[in-house]
Amino acid sequence: MSEAALSIKSVDKIYEGRGKGPVHAVKNLDMDVQRGEIVALLGSSGCGKTSTLRMIAGFEEVTRGDIVLEGRRVNQMPPARRKVAMAFEGYSLYPPLTVRDNIAFALKSARMSPKDAQRSVAEVAQILEIEPILDRYPSSISGGEQQRASLARALVRQADLYLLDEPMGQLEPRLRAVLRGRLKSLLVDRRMTAIFVTHDQTEANALADRVAVMEGGVLQQFASQKDLRERPANLFVATFVGEPPMNVFESKVVNGDRVRFAIDGGPTFDFAASDIPLSVRAAIGRREKVVIGVRPHAVRLGVGSEDARIVSNQWLGDQSHLAMEVAGKLMVAVSHAPIPAEVGERLKFGVHASDLHVFDVGTSAALSHGLEAA
Amino acid sequence: MAIEIRSVSKEFKSGKVLERISLSAEDGEIVAIFGPSGSGKTVLLRLVAGVEQPDEGRILLGGRDVTDQAPEARGVGMAFQNFALFPHMSAFDNVASALTAHKVPRDIIRAKVEKIAALLKIEHVLGHAPRELSNGQKQRTALARALVAEPKILLLDDPLRNVDAKLRYEMRLELPSLLKASGSTVLYVTQDYKEAMALGDRIAVLSDRDFAQIARPAEIYQRPATINVASLFGDPTINLMPVEPLSSSIGPKITIGGTALSLPSSYGRMAGKPCVLGLRAENIIVEDTASPESVPVEVVAVTPLNERTLLLLHTNDGREILASEAGTNEAPRRHGAAFARFDPETVLLFDPASGRRIVPQAA
Repeated sequence: MSEAALSIKSVDKIYEGRGKGPVHAVKNLDMDVQRGEIVALLGSSGCGKTSTLRMIAGFEEVTRGDIVLEGRRVNQMPPARRKVAMAFEGYSLYPPLTVRDNIAFALKSARMSPKDAQRSVAEVAQILEIEPILDRYPSSISGGEQQRASLARALVRQADLYLLDEPMGQLEPRLRAVLRGRLKSLLVDRRMTAIFVTHDQTEANALADRVAVMEGGVLQQFASQKDLRERPANLFVATFVGEPPMNVFESKVVNGDRVRFAIDGGPTFDFAASDIPLSVRAAIGRREKVVIGVRPHAVRLGVGSEDARIVSNQWLGDQSHLAMEVAGKLMVAVSHAPIPAEVGERLKFGVHASDLHVFDVGTSAALSHGLEAA
Repeated sequence: MAIEIRSVSKEFKSGKVLERISLSAEDGEIVAIFGPSGSGKTVLLRLVAGVEQPDEGRILLGGRDVTDQAPEARGVGMAFQNFALFPHMSAFDNVASALTAHKVPRDIIRAKVEKIAALLKIEHVLGHAPRELSNGQKQRTALARALVAEPKILLLDDPLRNVDAKLRYEMRLELPSLLKASGSTVLYVTQDYKEAMALGDRIAVLSDRDFAQIARPAEIYQRPATINVASLFGDPTINLMPVEPLSSSIGPKITIGGTALSLPSSYGRMAGKPCVLGLRAENIIVEDTASPESVPVEVVAVTPLNERTLLLLHTNDGREILASEAGTNEAPRRHGAAFARFDPETVLLFDPASGRRIVPQAA
């Protein structure tokens, strides 16, 4: 018996262009969301994440495939009957109603007693810090307040699934950091199932149990943020996720008595074959070229067989970002402490076999992550 | 060439924008002008360029008073940049446009454009139109145009504002050395504190019509002049909470979550006076076990943030505190009861009335 709150089965979305050709916004999407899970749809604009959310909500038709909510196929079901609550990026509050009445609106139609409705509204208003504006009208509050009101209106409802479109985009940083924490604790405490769309990986990582990375209408990887970081499925994910993202270099590979990665026009990382597990060596196989990757936090500075010129060394208060020129590109290293090195100097660096990622140069799919085959 | 802004004021119909502000930049220095939108940063650049006139005060370039001179008469190479390109010109012509106006011979133009293009790694796209360039190449082309005329003074108005996050990050790493190589004195306007810290030799924080602080990035981060400056730098924003130090036999103490915490004795004079305590998230240590002077807290939420882990803490006296730990290893960190402590030396105290930081004094 599946616990899936939502199954998206081989879904395509094709918009018939007005004047232009059709746009294939979502391609053969398969995804299950478990009950109580918080999922982020992450990608840049046009990646298909918002189309996906709107198909789940019922505001867009599915071109092909099925959407199954709590075991019911809902392709033809109108939004209001799907038992989903959605917070829109464009807020869409009812202008003639106060913020309080906007939030309580759906509770009244759900026949909740006025007393219970008031309590629910007060509770969510406190969490989202909108108590002072409950009796104001949407036109008289700021964009950030409208966004929180819209979020509150979705969160007070009883629904099988909560859909949030860029829920924190308009908020200033301090409030965003605090509200992320509170929103997560609310969703977890009540075991709410939620899917939210964001282009901000910080937000995705902060809130979601699993993150669905989308690009070009295709789901690139659907995994925990830890897995996205440590086991990116392909080069797109590797260079999209991470702040800053993974350093990647095309490299020749010799897979023999020693395993040697020679970056084109740059340094060579040379390992004893015994340092690289057989499974990884098998995954690399007889390839002559691969793409190797190393996370900025995994670059070892001051040690190793290679050196490079420092292009910048920037202390940002709680971390240092150091860039070196490697094979005509920047290789970035990040440290939580200041790095005692000057721009223009050469600095030694190295990479442990356990921190090395290897990708296929043609398909860009991951072959290995550290000491494990992908 | 040195820039000196002396007690300059500027008012528009909508009100005073700058009030008796002063700033000097040494020859070859990069000064980041940082502040929220609408704080007058662009106006300041326009005053230096000469496209706006100050109501009062003087502007000196290379020691020469140019306040009453038109932009072209200021006698210095100056580039005022917003990184827009002419769409109908090739990248080469865009870069060269900075020189053609100065009647430079064509072979010299070509040599100069090629040299700067090599430095900025755009040699291979010089023949392309802007629409054929990637965003990164567009930025570099625009920067090349700014640098090719070897301006003694370079005024950059939030040049990375409309750039996607990835390229913005790359440019943040590369720009300082490119600007240093040009030898120009640079005023660099930005709204992004990380950009200001990464790029500026010094940062001038503009707020409420005046500079709240002008100092090196580390100084601003560690010893912000005001609550406002403290809040503008740091992600997450610094924790601020009202406290009232009390004197004790071993020095001043504050109470948070029922625990009396020692402050450095250099704050002894603040006993009995209301203060605002500023505590950076990364200076708070959260542990499972109690230690002397640790505050019992509840970990309400654990959220990753840029290879760090952010902890939302509640104290039993109703305070909400953000702590951040290096690393993203979530497994050992659970919700629920924990203890928070901090190094008293990392504490900042502010005067609630003026907002100014209270400078510790030897007892």
